[in-house]
Amino acid sequence: MGLRTQTIESQELLTTKDKVGTSLMAKIQSHSLWNESIKRLKKNKTAIISLYFIIFVVLVAALAPVIAPYPYDLQNVDATLQGPSLKYLLGTDALGRDILSRLIYGARISMAIAVFTALVSLFMGTLYGAVSGWFGGKVDAILMRLVDTLYSVPALVLLVLAKVVIESSGYFHDPEFRALFSIFGALSIYGWMGMARIVRGQVLQAKEMSYVEAARALGIQQFSIVSRHIIPNILGPVIVTLTFQIPSNVMFESFLSFIGLGLQPPFSSWGVLANEGWRSLRSFPHLILSPGIAIFLTMLAFNMLGDGLRDAFDPKMK
Amino acid sequence: MKSLIVLVSLFLVFSGCTKSSKLKYGVDRSETLINNLQTEPPSLDWHKGTDTTSSEVVGNIMEGLTALDFDDPNLKPVPALALNWQGDKASRVWTFTLREDVKWTDGVLFEAQQVADGWERLLNPKTAAQYSYFLYPIKNAKAYNEGKIKDFSQVGIKILAKNKIQVTLEEPMSFFPSILNHHSTFPIRKDIVEKFGDRWTNPENIVTLGAYKLSKWDHDDAILLERNENYFGEKAKTKYVLERMIQEQSSALNAFDVGDLDILQELPSTELGILKKRKEYVKTPLLGIYFYGFNIKQKPLDDANIRRAIAAAIDKKEIIKVLNGEQIPGSSFVPNGMLGYEIDVGIPYNVEKAKEYLAKSSYKTSDKVPKITLLFNTNENHQKMAENVQAQLKKNLGLNIELKNEEWKVLLDRYKVKKGYGIYRLGWIADYSDPDNFMQIMTSYSENNHTNWQNPQYDELVKKALSEQEVQKRKDYYKEAQKILLEEAAAVVPIYTYVHSILVNPRVRGYKTNPMDQKIFKTVELVK
Amino acid sequence: MEKEKLFDAYKIFMGLMALMGLIMSFFGFGIPFFWTTFGILVLGSFIVVVIKQNMLSYLLKRCFEAGITLFIIATLVFLLLRLMPGGPFDAEKALPPEVMANLAAKYNLDAPLYQQFFQYMNQLVHGDLGESYKYIGRPVSTIIGDTFPVSFQLGVYALILSYLVGIPLGVIAANKHNSWLDSSSMFVAMSGVSLPSFLTGAIFIFLFCFQWKLLPPGSWEGPSFYILPVLTLGLRPAAIIARLTRSSVLDVIRSDFVRTAYAKGLSQRVILFKHVLKNSLIPVLTYSGPLIADILSGAFIIEMIFSIPGMGKHLILSVTNRDYPLVLGLALLFSVILVLCNLVVDLFYAVVDPRIQLA
Repeated sequence: MGLRTQTIESQELLTTKDKVGTSLMAKIQSHSLWNESIKRLKKNKTAIISLYFIIFVVLVAALAPVIAPYPYDLQNVDATLQGPSLKYLLGTDALGRDILSRLIYGARISMAIAVFTALVSLFMGTLYGAVSGWFGGKVDAILMRLVDTLYSVPALVLLVLAKVVIESSGYFHDPEFRALFSIFGALSIYGWMGMARIVRGQVLQAKEMSYVEAARALGIQQFSIVSRHIIPNILGPVIVTLTFQIPSNVMFESFLSFIGLGLQPPFSSWGVLANEGWRSLRSFPHLILSPGIAIFLTMLAFNMLGDGLRDAFDPKMK
Repeated sequence: MKSLIVLVSLFLVFSGCTKSSKLKYGVDRSETLINNLQTEPPSLDWHKGTDTTSSEVVGNIMEGLTALDFDDPNLKPVPALALNWQGDKASRVWTFTLREDVKWTDGVLFEAQQVADGWERLLNPKTAAQYSYFLYPIKNAKAYNEGKIKDFSQVGIKILAKNKIQVTLEEPMSFFPSILNHHSTFPIRKDIVEKFGDRWTNPENIVTLGAYKLSKWDHDDAILLERNENYFGEKAKTKYVLERMIQEQSSALNAFDVGDLDILQELPSTELGILKKRKEYVKTPLLGIYFYGFNIKQKPLDDANIRRAIAAAIDKKEIIKVLNGEQIPGSSFVPNGMLGYEIDVGIPYNVEKAKEYLAKSSYKTSDKVPKITLLFNTNENHQKMAENVQAQLKKNLGLNIELKNEEWKVLLDRYKVKKGYGIYRLGWIADYSDPDNFMQIMTSYSENNHTNWQNPQYDELVKKALSEQEVQKRKDYYKEAQKILLEEAAAVVPIYTYVHSILVNPRVRGYKTNPMDQKIFKTVELVK
Repeated sequence: MEKEKLFDAYKIFMGLMALMGLIMSFFGFGIPFFWTTFGILVLGSFIVVVIKQNMLSYLLKRCFEAGITLFIIATLVFLLLRLMPGGPFDAEKALPPEVMANLAAKYNLDAPLYQQFFQYMNQLVHGDLGESYKYIGRPVSTIIGDTFPVSFQLGVYALILSYLVGIPLGVIAANKHNSWLDSSSMFVAMSGVSLPSFLTGAIFIFLFCFQWKLLPPGSWEGPSFYILPVLTLGLRPAAIIARLTRSSVLDVIRSDFVRTAYAKGLSQRVILFKHVLKNSLIPVLTYSGPLIADILSGAFIIEMIFSIPGMGKHLILSVTNRDYPLVLGLALLFSVILVLCNLVVDLFYAVVDPRIQLA
């Protein structure tokens, strides 16, 4: 699972910074902070390599119809479970579908799920957290109470329930879209809460900073204070949280496939492939080898990039 | 770090003795058969359990009035707790003579009252037994189950003597003795059930009379059966049966391969191809069919010619090839190995004929036929089949099929309201060894008929066959009924007959697989 | 120093708990011991805090809040369950309406929804979780009682393992910051979170059971059966803890008092163990609460792969079976664990670091 701990982790990494970094950050203008951060990030080789790798994966996903040698669901009943060959570079699965093509199309869905869900949580979480943090007082208390309560619902039960309810609601006809949407929905329900907490914390802190107080004293409207001063400042932590959330979403998608509630074949995602493959690890290792490596490297890249970003946005850690 | 190393090495030392001859509960490996039950049985109360897991355990610790002769092609009932039985001419009144030498595991003698007690309990509305409808053929049984009759003596069950029980049926029924092989009709010890309440099925409380007795039951983990030394029949050859609950198929295969399981009951479909070639491989056709049905209230399936065209355009052999399975292509609605199975009934695969049917339909050409929805539950194999059918109908007739999958219970909900689908799937495994089991599905009064199709003539034929004792006549009735169902109305298309594939460790001898998929261990012998 | 003493006591306590767990597993003592340990842990911390900081009112307030949270969760799950199409007794072989009516009457499913809801809440207040629909005649509390201890045992082992591996790894990495040791141990840690656990499990089984023939591939019968599942489950938390420890230690290393210690000329070893470790472990330990909850829900996959008789599979199966009382019971159990873990951690935090005032 790891949804919970993933957020916790980034939260923790951020708060340790906040304890000491507040005074320092207050002195630095937000623009120069950005430039500094990007400079630091550029120096971090692993993070840059990871970034390039992620761009590569995203490109592959985007160009899937162009570069995949076969359609993802094209069956060849006469060539099932074949090992790698010139015709099928990574071999074929139990229905004679080309694993390379399925891997490429799978990147598409996995990345879509991960990124889309992260974006929803970005939007919802930032809005919710910012409102809560900005207004403070009773609003904050009520909103955070709500998040705390939702947070205490066991993630697994909530997600499975949400998934089935969304899927059976009957609004969608296309089966792939329906499955995708229900996964998006289920994941989004949970993902935004961690983000909301982080953003709230950041906003609460930023509110106390001297330049915000100065802006307030100058009579600048609340909205423009939030959008011009606070949001740029909390962007760093938010981006870091996002980079940590994306891999945990990918994991969760594969977990849903494992319990039979995720995407199902013939549609392809990395979760579907991993789930089809691990069961026959002993008999047909080629089924799991390539999806396994793809998942591993991508997750690694996201985590490395997340680490790099965190270091970059946090001058003290370097 | 150091502590970790010490720890790991200690663990490894301990793990050195995993391959000991003693198993869980201290039983000896050489006298224990290990089978995979797969999941926790919902209940070992034979009046309440409905799962195959429940019936597997109950089938080894209990006996019914009759047993089935698996060597007989028609699976005719043979004596078990009943020594013999006699039906009257119309097969409405049945008299069973029971054995008098049978003792329960607590030493109490078996008698007719316990059979009647069992049936009373099954039918009692307070028990809320899901299989109570099994005894609905008995006179007034249904009314008693509905609570309309409070007095059980009005139900057609009469104890004639300590060892004689007489049953009067509502309608004549030729195969009533076969039903008494089902676990829901087994006798029961009312005193035990009353004494312990819901806990009467715990190993320390339960009282049974089968070849094995329940020795240990660790929920979600394992069940241990021990030989019943006072069993009235031939004693079990193996002292213990350890039933493990390994749900994940690949984990079960792992356990089988390291020798922790003697029989592997479900084979992972991806690996079937290589498992088929192993010498441990055994396959048995089951009394069960997989079929597609048409919702005849849904356009364009209200047109019989469209239904016929679809039926003729599906190549069942190709579907089985896609599944990489061993199933037998379906023809009649009654599966292979059962009375009423007909090779020449139904619409065979014939693309030319299919096109003719389409031309005869009110739509004339395929482009005018609206899209048809095929509904199935989310599962890889159903998906594979549905995709294949979709491709075949596109290729052979040019029809557009839309696939729709639903989570299992959601699907059942759609079936209940009989809406929202054009074609649906259903699998049906026999509960009792009579073709009525299958034929009644499509009657107008069946809850399992999701087609909206009704035909009084069909209902009449099924009813007639029910009461007919002469085998040839029954066969004719069923043939006629199936012709109506499959050819004239084309309401359903049988796709295949199920085949059960298993792996059996060579040290296991005498394990008899059978078409009812009853897993009976008393004949099993273990060799070194 | 008061704080230091308490922290030592806490460490010893944790150590004892870990030791007890290990001893128990070796001698085959099972589950009741775990309950006692867990109980002592919770009660002990309650008592210490109540005595130390006189916070009975705080505790009561937290309990009250927890009660409201649980009520909301029960309502939410109850409604979501009824929103799902399909009922508990729908089966491939549909039951006749008469039988359905008997079942509905027995389980009171024919009553209006609000009545069912009040009935359930009433039961709940009286501590009754109801009977499972699927496992006929078995109370939900019995099912939990049978399976939860196994999951708990697995979870605690994994937690112990993750601390035993994660903390040293994190300390090493931080101590040799920016060296090859740092990057390689962090690489190992990140690898731990980069594969789905079913895949790691399958690889472990392949290697340990089939290639090297060292360990059994499944079941839960003794120490040798524990190794692989615990390893698979503990890998991810271990990685998370390693990373937390690293950042936390780095934080402390740069603080003023450590610099002072260096200036005083204390040896690196003394500084690292006496000052840095002690101070940097507090934030790591406070994350035990959410971590336990995470481990418990993640255990589902491990239990499936290694066929362990734990509670995990009921979490999923009860939903697909529409076993309403079981779903509700499990959801509430997890919420209680989560709330309890958070409370305990907050209390511990107050115990360990007296600067923190809870009330």
